[in-house]
Formats: sequence, structure tokens, C-alpha cells
Amino acid sequence: MSPSQLLVLVPLLPLLAALFTVIAGRRLGSRAHLPAVIGITASALVAISLVVSTAASTSGGETPRPVDMVTTLWEWATVDEAYVPAANSPAAVPGTAVGADAHAARPLSISVALRLDPLTATMLAIITGVGLLVAVYSIGYMHDDPGYPRFFALVAMFVFSMSMLVAASNFLLVYVFWEAVGACSYLLIGFWFRKPEAARAAKKAFLVNRVGDFGLAIGVFLLWLTYGTLDFHDTLSPDGTILPGILGQTRLADVSGYVGGLVGTAICLLLLLAACGKSAQLPLHVWLPDAMEGPTPASALIHAATMVTAGIYLIARCAPLYMACPGALVTVSIVGTTTALVAALIGTVQNDLKRVLAYSTISQLGYMFASLGTGTLLGFTAAIFHLLTHAFFKALLFLGAGSVMHSMGGVIDMRRFGGLRKLMPITAVTFLIGSLALAGIAPFAGFFSKDEILASLHSKGWPDAHHAATGDHHAFLPPTGMAGATIHDVGYRGVASHGSHPLAVETVGLDSLNQPFVWQTLFWMALITAGLTAFYTFRAVFMTFTGPLRVPEEAGHHAHESPPVMTLPLIILAVPATLSGIVLFTTEGLAHFLAATPSFTAPAVVETASPAVFHWDLAIQGTLAAALGIVLAAVGHLGRRSDAPQMERWLGPLRPFLEHRMFIDQLYVAFIVKPIEALAYLAAMFDRAFIDGLVHSVARLPIATGAIVRRLQSGLVQRYALAGVIGVLAIIVILAWRL
Amino acid sequence: MMTPALIAAAALPLLQNGLVVGAILFSLGLVGILTRRNLIVMFLSAELMLQGISVSLVAWSRYHGDFGGQVLVIFVLSVAACEAAVALVFVLQAFTRTGRLDAAAWQSLREDNLDRTVDREIPALDASSPTFPRLTQAGNLPETDEQAALQRDHV
Repeated sequence: MSPSQLLVLVPLLPLLAALFTVIAGRRLGSRAHLPAVIGITASALVAISLVVSTAASTSGGETPRPVDMVTTLWEWATVDEAYVPAANSPAAVPGTAVGADAHAARPLSISVALRLDPLTATMLAIITGVGLLVAVYSIGYMHDDPGYPRFFALVAMFVFSMSMLVAASNFLLVYVFWEAVGACSYLLIGFWFRKPEAARAAKKAFLVNRVGDFGLAIGVFLLWLTYGTLDFHDTLSPDGTILPGILGQTRLADVSGYVGGLVGTAICLLLLLAACGKSAQLPLHVWLPDAMEGPTPASALIHAATMVTAGIYLIARCAPLYMACPGALVTVSIVGTTTALVAALIGTVQNDLKRVLAYSTISQLGYMFASLGTGTLLGFTAAIFHLLTHAFFKALLFLGAGSVMHSMGGVIDMRRFGGLRKLMPITAVTFLIGSLALAGIAPFAGFFSKDEILASLHSKGWPDAHHAATGDHHAFLPPTGMAGATIHDVGYRGVASHGSHPLAVETVGLDSLNQPFVWQTLFWMALITAGLTAFYTFRAVFMTFTGPLRVPEEAGHHAHESPPVMTLPLIILAVPATLSGIVLFTTEGLAHFLAATPSFTAPAVVETASPAVFHWDLAIQGTLAAALGIVLAAVGHLGRRSDAPQMERWLGPLRPFLEHRMFIDQLYVAFIVKPIEALAYLAAMFDRAFIDGLVHSVARLPIATGAIVRRLQSGLVQRYALAGVIGVLAIIVILAWRL
Repeated sequence: MMTPALIAAAALPLLQNGLVVGAILFSLGLVGILTRRNLIVMFLSAELMLQGISVSLVAWSRYHGDFGGQVLVIFVLSVAACEAAVALVFVLQAFTRTGRLDAAAWQSLREDNLDRTVDREIPALDASSPTFPRLTQAGNLPETDEQAALQRDHV
């Protein structure tokens, strides 16, 4: 089968598994995991073969050439002549419409199209790979749960939705599956729906995500108004005209194919809002820590490895759109770095093991955003690189935390257990590997991806230092012939300087943030975050696994190492958590591979390509920060019972502030929830007093009429007969009169 | 020989007589049904009205020399017989429910919150010695279960 046909199998198999589990789950009983495990295994194998085949088609040349294969399954909806480009509309920018008439009316066609390119292949491999391990782990973790079949149906459904999200080649489809993964997330957070906290957390996640989804919806509308299509890929209309898709080769090859200015920035910021919701960035991060009420495997799969990276994927996919709006790009970085720092700070005082990991996830996602916001090829690939390594080591950490939680009888408060390394050696060792990777200690995976992110921030803050380093290393140079010499003349502000366009307002305040000193600040913030990451990670390691053995009474007979079905995924995940970084970094495999993603072959992206140099100075700075964090954690917690005295001394008045999560939830309650509740109360009053009063007064009319007429209903049969006689007489009189 | 004109002249008083008798019967029935409270008498009154109409139909039939009216009366009679059977069952059921033949006993079917209309009170039931309607004896007495008969409080 061709790769594009295989691509369809990746989402299809988990979908079939989910449907089968829904139909036959009860009958399968304790074997209900089989459809999901088999379906996701098959789909993981297909995804890996896709990575291989895509890699084969990208390799061969010194310069990356865009690779994408689009499979259109069917047309969901078509409206002819839905969009008529205005004379100077960006959709009709010369060169973007090839064929008869750039100003001809275009159809709105929503095609269910899947697109295979390096970015999609990478994401699919991560989703199905981690999904498979989590499904296997859940066999042990979820056993004897009354919702056993439901869990596996949801996991399979999630893998389907997420695969479709990253494979869809149309913004509307992206929106649909953006919602679908949100729904799966909601159902899995609220999996134990009888528990009030879980139900509340699920609702909170759903509502907070709505804010982001709203951004995505408006962003998609704006994209349609601006570009006259929602497809990523170019489409060939029946009369032989090529309609350039938003991320299609035609538009990508055109230096002025993307709108900057006010509209472009608005689109980018709305997509950023969407990404902030899904990827739990400030100020929409509040749902993720609460989402830990769900089963731990779901947290590992959805809220650490895959779904929360949808925002990263969206921005990376829309890289060319962002390249036209430097203000939006720098906003992405500022949001990301701030989130990384804030979440890391809050993470340092959490006592709940899963909460620590949740804040760590938020923080690491912030790192990825920071990297994306640099708007360089290095930044984009580094973000995806970190996404990949993070998926492995964070899933490993979550599953390790789940293993601890499983054997501690559901207790997850780190102050109540300790010294577990003797009790559960496999969990302890794999958790340590995950922590080293997260802290960014060489040679574990996180070190390399974090180093690349720091390098991308550094190159924006101190551009001269990096330009000087160019030369002795061969790098991916701009693909010749794609954009020609005009790239450097027009730059990525191409459309902004397209003076005739009325929407291309030059002065967007955000653009002025794109200054070296801003980037320098961001770099230092990221470096501090690296130190804090190491601190809170090892604080958790020391509190959980070192010191004298302590087991809470809830553990009962469970207090032992988890069964092999749970430890095996841990061991398997520990391998990429150790090796994926060094392998992918030294071979530059991932960077080369991703550079062939169409979105990254836009001239504006390609011209930022810099040689992949290993920056010793950055590596040393990052490692020093991490080492400092670990040492502080060791001083504070190694072998100690409680962290209170040490932390009190170090943090002082900051501690309650951080323990209450910087009062962000309380701020939301005070400034958003309460006013809305007041408004709802007013509305309810209006409804009861006015609207209901109106309805009730209408209802009083028949009652009043009835009060008069009901007097006739005397129950005396003679009266009724009399009424009949009078009626007949009346008819006779009337008839006599008429005659 | 009677000419058609003579026949007509002789038929007119006959028609008038028939119509008068019919009208009297009808009016008697109407007054009966509106004033009596006994269900059986009310039923009889209704029958009376029916017969009044039937008489007038026969009179008209004869006057016109057309048998259609008389045929209709035959039909009315047979339908009335069926109707009588059904109606008497209702009367019987009404009696077994209340122990009375008084239509006013069903006044409770009136709307809520309306006062009861009383022209003459319904006499109270004498539960100790209920009086049952008697028929003239015809043929031998059937064997009866004395015990069962004693325990029945009414028909």
C-alpha cells in the first residue's frame, strides 16, 4: 500500500477498536483491553512504517525539499462560489493563484483530507507509541475497575481523535478533532465521575478549554476571510485552476503569500489563544493541575505526552503564518517563557506527586512555546524535538507516579511515603531516569532538546555571536530555486510592506517587542526555569524514593512492586528517555527530517536556518543550573521526612503565595466566576419575575373563562337535557327565521 | 269512485290527528325526561318521545301514500329495542352502584366547588331491610343458595 493509504489506517484502527469496545465491552469483561491494545499496536506499527517511508523520501538531497502526500477521502461539504476575492485581497495576491483568473469566485469545500509529512509522521509515531505503552500499562493499573471497558474505549477513541488532529489537512477538520480530543480528555478526567472532585475537574478542564476553542473558531473564520480556503494543501479545481491552500506548496513558495499586519497578527494571536487553552499556558493553565483527578495512565497519555502538545503542533504547523507577524511570534515566546517560569515556581512547593508532574508539564510546554516563538528553523525543530523527548520522559514519570500510587493504595501525597526504592526498585530506577531526562542532565534525552531550545533563544538574544559561528559547519541552506534571491530583499515582513493592501497595517504594537533585550530576558528566564525544573524533580525523587521506608496504612497488601504488565512499559519508556536525545541530536536526524515539512520550507523559515552547532557554553550553563537545582534539592530533602523547615527558610513569605498556586484560581473566581454568577442570578430573577409572570398571566385567562363556564357543569342530567332542548329550539327558531 | 282530490281532502284530518297525537306523546316524554328523577321513568319518557316521532312519521307516510316513512318506523322500533337493552343495563349498573334509581344521586359528577342542587332530598337508604323490586311469579321458584342470598347487601 502507498504511504497515503497507510496513513488512513493509523486513525482507523483505533476507531474500530473503540467502537468494538463500546459494543462488546461488557461481554469481554476482563479482556476488554484486547481491542484497544491490538488496534493501537497495529496503528503504532503503521505509524513507524510511515516515519520510515517519509524519511526515505526526504533524504537524498543536501537541501530539504518539501514532502507531503495528501489523501482526500471524501468531500464533506461543498458550496460553490462561496468566496469572491476582493481586488486587493491577500487571497488574490499575484502569484498565489495559478490559472485562469485570480479573482474568480472560489468554492468552499471541506474535504476530509489527510496529509502525510514529516511533522505528521513524527506526531503519529509519538501518539501511537506512547498510546500503546499506556494502554498496556493500564491493563495492570485499571484492573478490577468497574469502568474497565469504558476506559479502553476512551483511550482508543482518544488515539483516533489525536491522530486525525495531526493528520487533518483542513482547518475545519483540525477544529473538529481539536474538540474531539477535548471531549476525550473531559471524559477521562471525569472517569471516576462519582467522585465530586473528578467531576468538577472535568468540568473545569472543559470550560477553560472553551476559551481557547473560541480563539480557534474565530481564527479559522479569519483565515477563511483572508485566504479564501481552509485547506492546507493546494487543490485543483475542475477548470484547471490551482487554488492555493493556506499551507500548500504554491503559497509557501511565494514570499508575499502570507498576510502580516493587523489581520495576520490577529489570526496568529487567536491561534495562540487556542494553543494556550489546549496546551495549558498562562493564563489558561488552571485546568491541567486539576486534571490529575483522572486515572494516571490517562494523565500520562493525554495530559503529559500527547493532547497538551496539540497547541505546539498547531503553531508549528502554522509557522509560515507566524513568520509574517514578528509581534505574534515574540508573544508566543513571552507567553511560553513566563508560563515555564511560573509553573516551575509553583511546582517547587507542591506536595502531591502528580501535581508536581502536572506543573512540570505546563512548564515544559512553556519551553516549547518559547522555542517556537523564536521563529527560526532551529526553534521550530527544537520545539518538536523537545515535544518528542518530553513525551517519552514525562509519560515515563507519570506512569512511575501511577505505579507508586497503585502500590500506596491511592495515596499520592509525597509527605506520607518515603524510601520506596527498596520496595519498588524498578519503578525507582526508571523514575530516576525520567527525572534525569527532565532535569536536563547529559546524556539523557531532555538535556539535548533543552539545550537546543536555549540555543534558539540565545541566538535571538545575541544574534551576532551566532552569525559569527556560521561557516565552519555545513548546514541546511535555503533551498535554491524555491524562492530565489528575493527572500532577503522582502524578508518575512513581505506582505506588511505590500503597501496597496488596506489591511496590512504596518504598526502593530507587538512588533516593537521583538528586541534583543527582550530575548535576552527570556533566555535568562528559561535558564532559571531549567534550574527550578531540576530542583522540583529531584525534590520529588528524594521525597519519594530515599530515606527510611515509610508506607501509608492505605497501602495494605498492595505495598510491593507493580506487576510486570506495569513495569514493562516503564522499562521500555526508559530506553527512549535515555537515548532519543543523544541519537537524534548527534545524527541531526530529526532536524533534517522535520525540515522537509512543508510549513518549514517557507522561504521566511528557511532563511533563518543556522548550522546545528553544539554550544558548549550553553550546555555548561544549562547543566550548571540543573546541577544547582539538584544540589539544593539534596540539601533540602535527601533523606528528610518533611520539607517544611528548609523550604520555609528559603522561600520565606513566598511559600504561601506559591502553595496557593499564586492565587490564580482565586483571581478567576473573584473576577470571572463571581461576576458571571451575579449576572446569572440577575437573569434568573428577570426570568422568574418577568418572563414567567407573562406566561402565568396568559395561563390565567382560560382559568378565568373556565370559572364562569364550569357553573353549567352541575352534575344534574336533567339540566343537560334541558340545554339540549333549548339548543334544538334555538336551531328551529333560527331555521324558521331564515326561511 | 274517490278522486285524488277527495282522497286528499279525507287524508288531511287524518294527518292532523296523527300529528297531534305524535306531538302530545313527544311533549309528554319531553316533560317527563326534564322533570322526573327516576332513571327508569326517564328512560320510559325518552321512549315516549321516540314513539311520538314515530306516530308523526306514520301519519306523514300515509298522507303522502309513501311507505318510506313506515319502513323507517320499523327500523326505529328495532333500533329502540336494542337501545332499550343497553340503556337498561346502564340503569341496572347505576342502581347497583348507588342502591338508588334516583338520577340526583349522580350529582357528585358536577364540577368541584359547586353547590349541590337540592329540590327534594334523596331519602336515606335503609340498609337493614333493602326492598327489592318484585316481579310476578312465573313458573316454579328456582333453587336458591339461601346463605349467599343472605350475605348480599343488594342486587
